Amino acid sequence: MMVLVPERARTPLILSAIAALVAVLGAVGGPTVQRVAVLALVSIVFVAGLSTFSANSGIMSFGHVAFMALGAYTAAFLTIPAPLKATLFTQLPEPLAFLRDVQSSFVVAVVVGGLVAAVLGLATAPAIARLTGLQSGIATLAILMVVYNVLSSWTSVTRGSSSMIGIPQATTLWAALGFAVAAIAVAWAYHSSRSGLQLRASREDYWSSVASGVAVGRHRATAWVLSAFLCGAAGALYACFVTSFNVSAFFLSATFGFIVMVVLGGYLSLSGAVLGAAVVSVLQEVLRRFQDGQFTGGSALPAGVADLLLAGVLLFVLIKFPLGLMGARELGLRRRRASVKQKEPVEA
Amino acid sequence: MATLSESPSVLSMRDAGVHFDGVKAVDGVSLTVSRGEVLGLIGPNGSGKTTTLNLLSGMLRPTSGAVLLDDRDLSRLSMRRRVREGVVRTYQSGRVFGRLTVFENVEVAGLGVGLRRGAARDMARTTLAQLGLEDVAHLTADSLTAGRIRTTAIARALAAQPRFLLLDEPAAGQNESEAVQLIESIRGFAREHSIGVLLVEHDMSVVMGTCDRLHVLDSGRTVIEGEPQRVRKDPQVIEIYFGKRE
Ligand SMILES: Nc1ncnc2c1ncn2[C@@H]1O[C@H](COP(=O)(O)OP(=O)(O)OP(=O)(O)O)[C@@H](O)[C@H]1O
Ligand SMILES: [Mg+2]
Repeated sequence: MMVLVPERARTPLILSAIAALVAVLGAVGGPTVQRVAVLALVSIVFVAGLSTFSANSGIMSFGHVAFMALGAYTAAFLTIPAPLKATLFTQLPEPLAFLRDVQSSFVVAVVVGGLVAAVLGLATAPAIARLTGLQSGIATLAILMVVYNVLSSWTSVTRGSSSMIGIPQATTLWAALGFAVAAIAVAWAYHSSRSGLQLRASREDYWSSVASGVAVGRHRATAWVLSAFLCGAAGALYACFVTSFNVSAFFLSATFGFIVMVVLGGYLSLSGAVLGAAVVSVLQEVLRRFQDGQFTGGSALPAGVADLLLAGVLLFVLIKFPLGLMGARELGLRRRRASVKQKEPVEA
Repeated sequence: MATLSESPSVLSMRDAGVHFDGVKAVDGVSLTVSRGEVLGLIGPNGSGKTTTLNLLSGMLRPTSGAVLLDDRDLSRLSMRRRVREGVVRTYQSGRVFGRLTVFENVEVAGLGVGLRRGAARDMARTTLAQLGLEDVAHLTADSLTAGRIRTTAIARALAAQPRFLLLDEPAAGQNESEAVQLIESIRGFAREHSIGVLLVEHDMSVVMGTCDRLHVLDSGRTVIEGEPQRVRKDPQVIEIYFGKRE
């Protein structure tokens, strides 16, 4: 059947099918399973965004949760009912006072959440375009730190460590699936685009790409902004699912969870990221239950055991498969290697 | 199609030098490549051949002297800008985009110089066919033999539609007859598309019959430049190349 599908469309179809499978499992399971499924789908949106940057550029980012945070806060402001906002935000600074009255639909909130994150992406793109390797990793972490600190301290707008509450729950299982499929499609479209191909070339060999005329910085910046958008949208979806959250949801623990997904699946591959999100979401839930004592006869284990075990899994995979389970391959795309190392043609 | 008079006709280096921590890797070298000719750049290990190519391609800025395209000073132009001006290089180690296919490797070069997708693909197809790589076009570049990896790097350079092509030991690792054959085909391209080629090679016998002129470096300085037959008879060249054996 797959033969009838053009090669270029196979990967997003397979990945969408995986997302659909997650949704179906959520639909047939109980409320807890459904919750895990929705969060897994939101994670798929997030990792599709993250891998739009990191898979194509080969540069890992530790800061994308900052984009998610912006998307979540934006969606909260756009969807919390106006009367509730009036009581929650009594000290909004004047330029932001209009936020008290704005009200938008769920879909608009998700898109605007993405756009606000993309603005931060645009502002930070010049730095990202110039840096590689360790410096780049540290710069992305710095972005996370700055955003986290601003969100924690700007209490008149973000309520600091108090929760944002009263967000109407709009991210249903099927809505989450719809956005996951859309995010996969966008990420794949970028991967296959002119810009995506040139960025992947720079990932493979920076100096050869420059010698081929590739404007590496420009393509890195493009991927960065697009990935910020997708991660912002993931944040909005998250906010509209959990209905209340505070800033601690968008810091190191979340970052670690997403890194595990992407690295486990393969950070150079969209398929790896999506598979990783699906698998690790389930794993996290199992580990959480384990920590809560569900498998040990009710005696709860110390907090942090779940993260510790997850870290153990990550270490194991990193040692066995340094580039994750998928490496730089994509599902459905036959990256043909010469089966036997190519023989030199025999000259007559 | 731009006529020859509109587009630049010579790439040159004038009295150019660069030093690393006091070591003069290239010291006051002048050379000129004209379109359509193959200039061989030869010299023993460490004589400054790659550094000369780095200066011409923009990977290094000269600490003295200048790099010129006709009369225009390119010295401050980045490597990428020079590619857009038609000055394209390969690397000594034959570097490719390992996990991209051979086809994508070449397509990237077309995109890099601003071709549309369709045009870049057409360019890739033609170039791969000309270099006999069609049958491996769909394979990842890192799964090829060293020789074909080098050919892929050359195909990529050609797909950038160079006016000047700087090749750093394209025939390394091949035997003499293979090397001669490869350089002959490069020479064919140079004539057909009026490309000026600077070809680095350490094996004197390979460049003898294939280059129009030779430029010999030793310790970062020019020893002699001229027609192969004349260069071969130069006493200094004989000493550098055959001195120790005699
Ligand atoms: N980046 C650098 N830093 C320090 N020294 C360098 C650098 N690049 C080249 N050199 C030195 O400059 C000199 C010329 O090197 P170059 O690579 O140009 O020689 P080459 O003629 O290409 O040699 P080979 O035949 O081995 O490729 C050598 O002494 C080398 O050690
Ligand atoms: Mg060299």
